[in-house]
Amino acid sequence: MKKRIIASALALSFVAPCAFAQDAVRISGFGTGALTWTNTDKAEFGRANQASGATKDVTTGVDSNLGLQADYPINSWLSVTGQGLVRKDAQDDYDAELSWAFAKAKVSDDVSIRVGRIGLPAYMISDYRNVGYANTMLRPPSEVYSQMVFNTVDGADVIWQHSYGATTYTAQFAIGKTKADIIGGLSMDARRVTALNLVAEHGPLTVRVGRVDGHLTLNGSTSLATLLNSLNTVAAGYHIPQAAQLASDIDVRNKKASFTSIGAALDWNDIVVQSEYAKRKTDSYVNDTTSWYVMGGYRIGKFLPYYSHAKLSIDGNVDNHMPASCPAGYPAACTPTLVTLSGIVANLRYTGVSQGEQQTDTIGVRWDFYRSLALKVQFDRVRPNKASGLLINPQPGFHGPVTVGAVALDFVF
Amino acid sequence: MKHPIKTSLAAAALLLALPAMAEVVVVVNPKAAESSMTKDQVAQFFLGKSSAMTPVDQPESAPVHAEFYKKVTDKEASQVKALWSKLVFTGKATMPKEASDSAAVKKMVASDPKAIGYIEKSAVDASVKVIYTAP
Repeated sequence: MKKRIIASALALSFVAPCAFAQDAVRISGFGTGALTWTNTDKAEFGRANQASGATKDVTTGVDSNLGLQADYPINSWLSVTGQGLVRKDAQDDYDAELSWAFAKAKVSDDVSIRVGRIGLPAYMISDYRNVGYANTMLRPPSEVYSQMVFNTVDGADVIWQHSYGATTYTAQFAIGKTKADIIGGLSMDARRVTALNLVAEHGPLTVRVGRVDGHLTLNGSTSLATLLNSLNTVAAGYHIPQAAQLASDIDVRNKKASFTSIGAALDWNDIVVQSEYAKRKTDSYVNDTTSWYVMGGYRIGKFLPYYSHAKLSIDGNVDNHMPASCPAGYPAACTPTLVTLSGIVANLRYTGVSQGEQQTDTIGVRWDFYRSLALKVQFDRVRPNKASGLLINPQPGFHGPVTVGAVALDFVF
Repeated sequence: MKHPIKTSLAAAALLLALPAMAEVVVVVNPKAAESSMTKDQVAQFFLGKSSAMTPVDQPESAPVHAEFYKKVTDKEASQVKALWSKLVFTGKATMPKEASDSAAVKKMVASDPKAIGYIEKSAVDASVKVIYTAP
């Protein structure tokens, strides 16, 4: 129902420019039409948190999207902004979502406050990662951009921006709560979210530091509930308290989590460099990870060829202190049960959205062939370290690496 | 006898001037406190890095547009557009207002003490104050 309202709001905004004076409501939009394919049918390649992806069959679903934004200045210091985005995500069809809807008050030349639904500033390109035209690469590197499932936060933020000499500093602090649907009908809640984003720009160089903290709760996972139940049953039935401890360590209910990242971007003469490094930590089975990428490009007229390397590795998840076998005299089923449960626990690091390890080498080219239009061609060589990495729906017999190709047309209006 | 020579010299100068790009100047309201600005200071308003002044843009199709961005921001129009789309679609800023030509820029700058715009040097008059001349 909510989605229908957003969809009709989007449809309405198509009509809006005719109805309003040019200065009243500003409608702008962005989008990408893309084709994506891979060289395997045994697993699918998707963007973070998509329910299905590309195989040998060419698909439009992975990299295509359409966004529309309306800005309405109420007076010289107060404005409202709404943005809707249509793309494929955790539900396997094109969905409209409300990216943001906020009121912005310009308190002074340097300070503004926004209230409503705002972008969660977890990454260097977090709030324009869906705007293909604003980015060099065809899509943000999955290794890093899969590690935070939340795009938005419902709450408020304050942004301070000031220039000292030739350097511009921006500080942003947001608080609120957020929720994300994830594959398989699950959802993740984050409460007491705080986000700090510090940016310094000096000529062609931009550096940033970001930190997001929150408390996570995973809803709707029957397999997780079954596992926790089994562990607690073992703890009570066989008097193995370590199993209960393990269950509580694994559980994702009001668990502390943080995401810390640093990034730098350089656009100097014809040289383009962009890099981010991020650490994720959670007090649950959701992996603690390190992820990073480095992208370099060189502008030749209207062409911008680029190369990128990205890597996601697991730092740890939960410590299993259960004994490997049961003491003598215990029922015969005890030890095999522990072995089975330990096996499932060990596998958690490769189970679910954003879990797993992989690295990707990418080459591509951006061609600014016409005003407000860019054509991109990109090839990725994805190497899952174990299991299927960030690839989804793996079939028996799947093994990496996988080559992914994509052609995209980005536009803004 | 003198006059025809002067006239033809002027005509020749005009012919010579035609193939060259129009010279770009940056203008503000005569009431604005600033009397001059550096290239970087001007650029920050047109690249969305400061909202202390309100930039007034010209259409992408106008020759002065490409000339201004090339000389003042060292960027191609497409790079500037990509930069602005970052700011616009994150809700951090709205695209600069666009005036249809240099005359319209002057009108907007003359009526807003916080406005900053760029026009051809030849279009300068008393309604605006020049604070930067592109080399």
